[in-house]
Parts: sequence; structure tokens; C-alpha cells
Amino acid sequence: MTLWSRLRPYVMVAPSIAIFSIFFIYPIFYMIYLSFFNWDFINPVKEFVGLDNFTELFRNNEFLQVLSNTLNYTLLTVSLSIVISLFLAIWLNREGTWYGIVQGALFSPHIISLVSVSLVWMWLMDPQFGLLNWLLQLVGLPKLEWLSSPDSSLLSLVLVAVWKGVGYNALIFIAGLQSIPKDMYEASALDEANRLRTFYKITLPMLSPTLFFLIIINLISSFQVFETIAIMTKGGPVNSTNTLVFYIYEYGFRYFKIGYASAAGVVLLVVVGLLTLVYFKLLSRKVHYQ
Amino acid sequence: MPIEQRPLLKVLHYLGMVLLMAAFVIPFLWMISTSLKSYAETVIFPPKWIPSKIMWSNFTAAWESGPFLKYFMNSVVVSISILLLQFTTIILAAYAFARYRFKGGNLLFGITMVTLMIPGQLIFLPVYLLMSKWGLLNTLFALILPFSSSAFGIFMLRQSFKQVQEELIEAARLDEAPEWKIILKIMVPMARPTLVTFALFSFIAHWNDYFWPLVMTTTDAARTLPIGISKLREVDGGAAWHILMAGNMILVIPILIVFSLAQRHIIKAFVYSGVK
Amino acid sequence: MAQIMLKNIEKRFKQEKVIEGLDLTIEDGSFTVLVGPSGCGKSTTLRMIAGLEQQSDGQIWIGDRCVNGIEPGKRNVAMVFQNYALYPMMTVKENIEFGLVNRKMPKAEREKVIREITEIVGLADYLHKKPQALSGGQRQRVALARAMVKSPAVFLMDEPLSNLDAKLRSQMRTELIQLHKRLGATFVFVTHDQVEAMSMGDRIVIMDKGRIQQADSPMQIYDDPDNLFTAQFIGTPPMNIVTRSKAVEAWDYQVDESVHHIGFRPEKAVMTMDKKAAVGKLHIPARIVTRETLGAEIIYQLESTVGTFYVKSFLKPLETAVEVNVSVSYTDLFYFGQDGQRVRALEPTEVQERLVIAGGGYA
Repeated sequence: MTLWSRLRPYVMVAPSIAIFSIFFIYPIFYMIYLSFFNWDFINPVKEFVGLDNFTELFRNNEFLQVLSNTLNYTLLTVSLSIVISLFLAIWLNREGTWYGIVQGALFSPHIISLVSVSLVWMWLMDPQFGLLNWLLQLVGLPKLEWLSSPDSSLLSLVLVAVWKGVGYNALIFIAGLQSIPKDMYEASALDEANRLRTFYKITLPMLSPTLFFLIIINLISSFQVFETIAIMTKGGPVNSTNTLVFYIYEYGFRYFKIGYASAAGVVLLVVVGLLTLVYFKLLSRKVHYQ
Repeated sequence: MPIEQRPLLKVLHYLGMVLLMAAFVIPFLWMISTSLKSYAETVIFPPKWIPSKIMWSNFTAAWESGPFLKYFMNSVVVSISILLLQFTTIILAAYAFARYRFKGGNLLFGITMVTLMIPGQLIFLPVYLLMSKWGLLNTLFALILPFSSSAFGIFMLRQSFKQVQEELIEAARLDEAPEWKIILKIMVPMARPTLVTFALFSFIAHWNDYFWPLVMTTTDAARTLPIGISKLREVDGGAAWHILMAGNMILVIPILIVFSLAQRHIIKAFVYSGVK
Repeated sequence: MAQIMLKNIEKRFKQEKVIEGLDLTIEDGSFTVLVGPSGCGKSTTLRMIAGLEQQSDGQIWIGDRCVNGIEPGKRNVAMVFQNYALYPMMTVKENIEFGLVNRKMPKAEREKVIREITEIVGLADYLHKKPQALSGGQRQRVALARAMVKSPAVFLMDEPLSNLDAKLRSQMRTELIQLHKRLGATFVFVTHDQVEAMSMGDRIVIMDKGRIQQADSPMQIYDDPDNLFTAQFIGTPPMNIVTRSKAVEAWDYQVDESVHHIGFRPEKAVMTMDKKAAVGKLHIPARIVTRETLGAEIIYQLESTVGTFYVKSFLKPLETAVEVNVSVSYTDLFYFGQDGQRVRALEPTEVQERLVIAGGGYA
């Protein structure tokens, strides 16, 4: 073994590892470090305050509302999106040109910028001239305030997220469904199992790895919702759509409370970290049946 | 399936498909329709679908409302640079992880896997501070550097490199091929489907990205198209929906064209990377 | 030139020794076949010669240089793999050319060499096809051509014929033998198929459990096996083996204690309906169980008091389930000791036999 051949693997991974360390791993620790300080970003002196930022966070009603908004948004989005996409997947898991076209249409929001999605939906949800209110009137329902009222704003954002997400989820479900061996269904048909039983006894268990994967990645991504809020509501009205990442962004970049924002970032880190951990834990326990 | 045998179910089935299709197509049609209307026609209720006069001028108005050429070029430069840099870094790293056994290799791969789980939304604040310390804010470097390698890409490519049969590499070694030639002439062509998948994935993600450029830029010097389009809300106090939708078309149409041309491939790419 | 010498080679995978104390000289210009059951270390040996595997201990010499630590590409060897290992994204020509380009051979010269070689292996019409478009036999030829263009001193072949159908395989065998004559290079050929080994090699190296059992010419190995393993590995059906204790018990056959096994080749046994023992022959009463007709020859499986054995005969078929007597010349018997090695000194020779006849002891 020459020196070069021994060094070669290190040289080859070095650029990637350097990037990951500088821009992903180190910032995590830096953020944790900053969360113990009071710092306005301009002052050269950082003041050590221990856990003060965290106690302030959890005493702050605004932050508690942000947490509850984030949680509500996440749970609603994920449960609706998963249930609807599972239904769509079972319904649309067929061969044929039309099914392909519908699947393509379902999927299209996934590859479109969140900026575009947000702008189009803002316009669709416009209380005065928006298409949605027109549709409501067509079927004889009253107009809604959509994003303009604190009562419906978060739900409106959930609607957008579900619209954007179901296509991707449904296609992953379809891929999962297609990997279930056909003979299992044939066997169950021979056993005279009805449809509902077949679904609970075969489809759902066989789909559990996919289901589980989707729930986790949907949870993680919903918890970090930012774009739709930044563009459509800016956290309003009256803080009804302010969520964690938007909160961190505002405290970091508008109020320059770096330590405080970092502490909120650590909260996000804990949640994402826990979800990831659960994912790997259950993954190693194998939710698979194959 | 018995649907075909029961008339009522059959009707429901097709009606459902039509409604579903409508739910995903109408927003886009609405966008197109609005982008071609005059201001007056956007503020009537009930709305009109077909504008009485097609207003192509909305597009020039949107384009000229800001330095859109600059935004566009920034978007192109950022997405392409990221893609090229990623190709270089992930091919090297994936090859090393797939083919060499070296001390600390597992640890370094562990770092890669951890990175895979860290979203930008988590670390933008500290990275912003770093970028500001290095004076890179408002430069394209701030948008490119953090993404010049991809943990996801390394993970995917390592898998497909591992699937290349050992004999092929041995044959190349007997053919006196140096290591770089084995990578470029054997491994890369063998992993082509994975690389295409990854390229689509990466390009779409960074072309569309709004969050990172928003955080890292405060001036037009390094802003990208999604930021520029979102800034259109400031035109006429946010009420100029015809201009906004015209701008939006500029952002959406290229992606939709690519999607309609390579729909199957793109869907496969995204589903594949999700399932893996 | 390119004589290959393996000196005291040892190979360990993790803690496990797969090859131990291997000494072997492969003559320049020979067609040497490494043969043995799977896991015997034959492929590993070949791969160590190629440099694809590093020996844990010992030296490998190719020609007059020790190639320990020399890159596979610099050893002046070429290899043909079992699954051909053709580069799927390159055309036939690019596949063949790849090594030459890496060697920086000028283009004009390259073209000339490729043209010559592809004429020889009959690929001239397929140069611009991709390997996927070729049949198994054609892929095999591409693999050969790829090895040949580099005009190496040594050709290493790792079961190159095992993916071909029977007819093509025998055709390729003949072609390889002719190719060897024509090139005059050293061929080292690995196979698990003893028929392939016997028909192709001018020297056969039989391996088992990481050790060389015997290295000799095919006929020498067949006629004069060194040990029980070789005796049973070469020949179809294999040599019949009877333990001494059974022979003593059933046939009242007297032999020295140090002999543990007695063997004879199926074709050396003759079946007669004669009840009486012939002079100088071992006499075994048996019953025919099955009959396998191969055309010119017939293989019988027989049942006797010492167990099952085989007899190969070229005469017209006998009925099954018939009681026969099998006789084997004492000179056709092989003796093996407790460790499986031949005990040549104790075997009956022609001289002894003549003495017996002269003395008229059995008459």
C-alpha cells in the first residue's frame, strides 16, 4: 500500500465531510452555545445568561401560542394528508392512461415552488374576489374569510399543505401497494375475506413500513413550515398562524434577539431530533413483514 | 374490481376522478386566466374565466417591476453551480464509501447520515452568523456553498455504486485503468439512472427554494427568482393580482413544461428517492 | 519468459486460512488447469497471480520478477472472468480498446491490433454493438479478444466456459486449445469440471482445502494418482474404493496393515458369468442394479457384499438384476494408506504377478 492509496479515501470524502461539518454539524453546536447568551448580533460582547432564554421562552405566552399553533398545524396536516392520500392511493392504484394523468396532476404541486403555491392560493382565498368564495356561493354556502380571520387562517394553511402534499404521499403509497405480492390478495379472496377485512388484515400491515415512513417525514417537514406562512400570513392575523420556524426567523432577523431565537431553535432541534430517533428506533425494530 | 359491474359506483368513480382532477388543475387555470386579465377584470365578482382582452403586457409589467433578469440569472447560476459541485463531491465520496475500507470510514459515513436528517430550517440562524462573519451574505456563495455536497446524494449513489459487480472493476484494473478512470468510465456510466434522478431532484429543489435565499440575502445582488416573484406583492400594495400571477407564471411554467415532458421519469425519481 | 512461481503462499481471510504452504511452478507456455471442488482455493490462487487478491504470506514470481505489491495492470497478465465482466456501456470495440488506451498505445497501432484480433475471434462484424446485443458465445469472444490485444505473457481464466451451453462449451474448449498453441503464452485455467480439466490442460493441478493434491499431466494423474482425493476426483465414474477391512472380510484378500483403502478404476473391471476366479485376478460376486447407456460405453452400478461400485464396459449391454462376477487384475489395484496417500511399494506389480503364475500357486 502506497501512502497515496492509503490517503485516497480520506481525500475523496474530505470535501463533502468538510461541507457537512461546517454548514450542518458545527452550526447545531453553535446554536446550542448561543442559546445560553444574550446577544443582539451587533454588540461585540455576548452576555452569558445560562438558561434564562429558555425560561423566558416558556413564560412567554406568545411562544406558547406559537408552539400550540405549530402542533395543531402539524397534527391536522399530517393526519388529513395521510388519510386522504391513502384513500386516493387505494382508489387510483390501477393501470390505464387516465389514472396516469390523474396521478400526474395530483403530483404536480410537489415540484412547484412554495412561492407559486402560496401566491396562487392567496388569490384563490381572496375574501372579496377569490375563486373559492365564488365556488362556495355557487353551491349556496356563505363566503369565508379564509386567511383574514384568526378562526380560519390556520385551517386555510392546512388546506394548502394538504393540497400540496397528498400527491406525493399517494404516489409513495401506490408504490408501496404495488410491492405487496398479488398472491396474498388471491389467497385472501379464496378465504372469502371481505374487502374491509382484507384491508385491515393484509393491505394495512403490508403497507405499515410505507405508512410509518410517510408519517414521520410528514411530521418533520410540517413542524418546520415556513414558506406559506412567510408569504401568505406573516404569522397573522393576531398571531394565529405564527409557527416555530417563522418565530425563530422573526426573533433572529427582525428583533435581533439571537440568543432567544437560538433557544427556540434548540426546541425545534429537540422535536426534530426525537422524531428522527423514533424513526430509526422503530426502523431497527423492523415494521416490515418481508 | 367490481366497480365496473355496478352502474352507480361506476358513475361515482368517474365523477370523483373528474372532481379530483379539477381540484388540481383549476388553481393553475385560475393562475393562467388571471395573468392575462386587466386589473379591472380581476376585481369583479362573480369572476370571469376568459378575459375580454388578453393582456400580454402583464408579463412585461411583472418583469420590469424589478431586476428580474438579475434574479433569473442568479437562479440559473445557483442551481447549476450547486448541481455541478454536488456531482463532483458526491461521486468522489460515494465511491470512497462504497469501495474502500478505511479507518474512521464508518464514523465519516455516520456524519453524512446525520447531515441527511438536518434540515436547513434548523440551522439557518447560526449559518447566517457564520456567513456574515465571513462577509458572504448577499453573495451567491452563501446560496451555493452549504449545498455543494449532498448527504442524500451520497447515500443514494453509494447504494448504486455498491451494486456494480466487482469483476467489472477488477477487469478495469487489469486493463491498467487508473482509479479516476474507473470512476469516470465505469462507475459513473453504470450509475447513470441514479445520477439523473438526483440531478432532477436537486435542480428542482434549488430552483424552487425560497427559504435559504430569503435568509441569506437582503439586497438584489444575490436574490433569486422565487424571492423576486414573492416581492411582487409589494406592487400596488399587494392588490395587483394580474401582475402577481403573470410573475408566478414565469416561475412555474418552466418547471411545468419540464414536468409534462418527463412526467414519468420525474415521478419515478421522487417516488424512488422517497421509498429508499 | 513467463514462468509463474508461487513460493510458500498463504492466504488468510480474517482469521481463516484458506490457502497454506502453497508451492507451485507453472511452466512457461504451458496450459495449466487448476481444478478442485468449490472452496478449494483455486480461484483465490488465480486472483493472487493476477494481483486482484493480496497473498498474506509468500512470494509470487512472474517471469524473472517478484510481483508482490505490483499492480494487477502492471503484471503483464490478462484475465477472462466467469461472467465475462464486459463493460456494458462500451461497444465491443471500446471494450477491447480500453486497456490499450490506458497503455497509451498510438491510435494507428491500436486500430491494427484490434483488426487482427477481431479477425481471429470472428468479431469483425460486431465491433460497434454493445455487449447486451451479443449472445453468450460472442460475449465470451469479446472477453477473449480483450485479453488478447494486450498480448500478455500470461492468460488467466476463471471458469470462463461455465456460463455457456454444453455444445458451445465444447466448441470453445477446442478453440481455446488452438488459441493456446497459436499464441504460445502461458495459460492458467480454473475450473471445477474435471472433464474440462482433463481435456484442455497439458498440466493439471488438483487442489483441495487450500492445498495442492497433485500436479501432473492429465494421463499421469489418471493412471498414477498420488492420493485418494485425486483418484476419486478424476474419472467418471470415480475410482471404486473399498476399505481394507471389508476386502479382508468379504474376499479374504490379504494385504499389509498399513493399507487402508483399495481402489480400482471402473473400466478395469470385467464382468463375466464365470463362477471361477481367473489367474491373477480379484474375483467379486455382484448383482447389476442399474445400467446407464452412454452410447459407446455403458456404466453399470453393482451391488456386492462390500457395497456399491461401478463398472464401465464397452461390450453389448447386459440385463440388470443379473448375478455376475467381476474380476479385476491385481496389477490394476491401487493401495492407499491411512492418510489417503498412495502406498505404491506394496501394490502388486507385473513382476510379482508373473512369479505367481510361474509358481502355479493359484492353478
